Amino acid sequence: MNVLEINTVTKRFGNLVAVRDVSLTVAKGELCAIIGPNGAGKTTFFNLISGYFPPTSGKIMFDGQDITRLSTHERVSRGMARTFQITEIFPELTVFENIRIAAEVAGGYRLRPWISRAEASKIHDNVETTLKLVALEAKADRLVGELAHGDQRAAEIAMALALKPHLLLLDEPTAGMGDQETYQITQLVRRLHRNDQYSIVLIEHDMRVVFNLADRICVLDQGRMLAQGTPQQIAANESVQAAYLGNAA
Amino acid sequence: MTLLLLFNITNGLIVGAFYVLMALGLSLILNLSNVINFAHGGFLVIGGYIAYAISPYVGFWGALLLAPPLTAVIGLVVERVLIRPLYGRDPLYSLLLTFGLAFMIEDLTRFIFGPQGKPFAIPAFLAQPLSNELFFITGYRLFMVAMVFVAIALLFVLLRYTRLGIRIRAGTLDLETVAALGINVRLLRSLNFAVGIFLAGLSGVLAAGQLGLEPTMGTGLLMPSFIAIIVGGIGSLPGTLVGGLLIGVASGVTAVFFPAASEAVIYVLMAVILLTRPRGLFGEEGMMG
Amino acid sequence: MTAASSRKLIVLAAIWVVLLLAPYWMAPLGGYTALATRVLVLGLAAMSVNFLLGFTGVLSFGHAAWFGLGAYGAGLTLKYLALSTPLAVIAGMLLGGLCGAILGTLLVRRRGVYFAMVTIAFGQVFYYIAFQWSSLTGGDDGLRGFARQPLDFGLFKLDILSDANIFYYFVLVCFALVVGTMGFILRSPFGRTMIAIRENERRARFLGIPVERHIWIAFTLSCFFMGFAGALYALVNNFADPRGLHYSQSGDFVMMAVMGGMRSFWGPLLGAAVFVVLQDYLSSITVNWMSFVGLLFILVVLFFPRGLLGFFQRSKA
Repeated sequence: MNVLEINTVTKRFGNLVAVRDVSLTVAKGELCAIIGPNGAGKTTFFNLISGYFPPTSGKIMFDGQDITRLSTHERVSRGMARTFQITEIFPELTVFENIRIAAEVAGGYRLRPWISRAEASKIHDNVETTLKLVALEAKADRLVGELAHGDQRAAEIAMALALKPHLLLLDEPTAGMGDQETYQITQLVRRLHRNDQYSIVLIEHDMRVVFNLADRICVLDQGRMLAQGTPQQIAANESVQAAYLGNAA
Repeated sequence: MTLLLLFNITNGLIVGAFYVLMALGLSLILNLSNVINFAHGGFLVIGGYIAYAISPYVGFWGALLLAPPLTAVIGLVVERVLIRPLYGRDPLYSLLLTFGLAFMIEDLTRFIFGPQGKPFAIPAFLAQPLSNELFFITGYRLFMVAMVFVAIALLFVLLRYTRLGIRIRAGTLDLETVAALGINVRLLRSLNFAVGIFLAGLSGVLAAGQLGLEPTMGTGLLMPSFIAIIVGGIGSLPGTLVGGLLIGVASGVTAVFFPAASEAVIYVLMAVILLTRPRGLFGEEGMMG
Repeated sequence: MTAASSRKLIVLAAIWVVLLLAPYWMAPLGGYTALATRVLVLGLAAMSVNFLLGFTGVLSFGHAAWFGLGAYGAGLTLKYLALSTPLAVIAGMLLGGLCGAILGTLLVRRRGVYFAMVTIAFGQVFYYIAFQWSSLTGGDDGLRGFARQPLDFGLFKLDILSDANIFYYFVLVCFALVVGTMGFILRSPFGRTMIAIRENERRARFLGIPVERHIWIAFTLSCFFMGFAGALYALVNNFADPRGLHYSQSGDFVMMAVMGGMRSFWGPLLGAAVFVVLQDYLSSITVNWMSFVGLLFILVVLFFPRGLLGFFQRSKA
């Protein structure tokens, strides 16, 4: 069963073709990493998947249903969650409050002007479980805006997890982090993938992280899909080395 | 009837020209600095009263030449002292500040010059009607419209061909990139603000010659200028130009058939345009605005 | 119960005690009950503006329109339809709220200054209608010839028309109802989505919140609250003024909210109290009070942007 099937999507901005005829299939429980040099169209591709804007052409299937024209929030309610290259959180709220909002929306309570005790405690449990998953229980009452970068990123991932997604999209989860924090986030993603069987697509610059985590690697270059394969295949692929790894190293 | 219609269309064009002049200044400041300048009408008043104060010494032509740049200098000081600290903060604050500033300018003008209207003398040859038939077209009216269009033309030349103008336009599109290129964004915003205020000052002098001076003369022009910007499409200067002329003529023509609605019509026009084109006539579809 | 929440309860109790006893402590301080009533109503309006501004992060600079519509709705009802105070208040609230709901659909895709600008322009539409339609609204002179009616409960009557204290308590009950509703909504899951939108719109969207729809709901609720406040204001004055719809009135409301502290629930009420008393005082000592009000705006923005309560409190969901 495939979670995500992307069929030859293209995105143009005026004359610029940011993404050209890219196809990608993600199986249930798979961790797929997207790499490529700056300006390769990785984030644009992510924006297409998550519904930030519609593709110029092509088709996107999610859980076997066509979502090409659906808006962001409709995709989220079908089980797609995403994080951003620059952490997007609610800085003036506590970690607990951040995740509670996600849990309430996921529980279908977002329009409710009141909430029963039973419902509230169900939400509470969901938040607690999620906090444990990302190891932030001890910091639940801290303001997210005051946390260290790595913890903010973990809180953002926790918000995505509280939505109970079928697919997790992580845009450069270790961007701008030191070694210690990179390790912390890498371990978290690995746990989510190995232990909790999440299907994950991630964009990443740090090759150690990519080759450490990914079941499969997709290489984008100038808006095209240059190559796809296991980490070993990609490492051995000459055109990839020429286009990307050669320059980056 | 034809004459009446012509009269009102002319009137509408003149009024529209003022809307355009005001709205272009507002638009410049809004686009680059994200500031709704509520005090724009106040700067028009300052321009008019400066012209009034210096015209005994330098005459009409001297006042016309000097008042707008002097107003711009005042604008520059205001921008530097009051508005610059607010860049990067919620736009709410600059809005409230210029709102308060508008109060102060109006009230201080009243305090200094008195609440009564003041006449502003224009050269006699400009005050003559062109002909008996077309009594409503005085030389001054034509002169005013000509001045407005010269100012607009110069503005567009400035924006298209000078380094300052090109930077202003680039900054409007993408301020971060402009800053990253090493351009002094603070200076750019100051100069841009001054250009906008220059236009308000010019409107002040020209309006003074037609209508005389009153401390409240700017307030009445503010709202139509807002609507000109909205109708034309926020973010588009050509849109502002078209929007201003359109609502000016629309209210002029309406004055022929249904005088009471001549002011209401611009609101109706706005509603109709926003219903059919939510981003205004020249507005771009996009995530923002 | 934690220390923070018990402190909150104490503050809340103190606020209500102050409000309940206002007619008794105002007079010795040189005030009068009608001033307290006005503060309450304008405070309610400022809190309604802040429901949107402080808790959804959306700046409407045309909210006076819904306030003024509320006033005209109440006044016209009393003058032409029915001599009933409750009916007048409901009619005012509905007029302001429904007009806001309809125009809100045109607004919700805009953000920031652009939202502010379009709300100003739309607000002015209603100002012009009130100003021009003299046969119905009294035009520039305002709507006169109506008065709030005593409340008839069958067993007993409350004379809110001639007894200033009784009227104050009537307004206080109305105030409590609306403020209670606001507080209730802000503590609900929906209220938390409003705060989410204020904090980070993109994150909110990617949590599955249809942001435009939620902003529209918050906007509409705020318009209903505003209409309610406007209706009360018509009862306070037995008069509805077209200037109550003007954008400069919107500016005053926003200023009250900012001055009191827009991130706190009660801040706008405090801001309204300071603003009303100050304006009252300034206009009694100088004809140039406009300059001082203008100066106040500038000083608050430059030196006091978080408002009076901003230093002590942090808004919590």
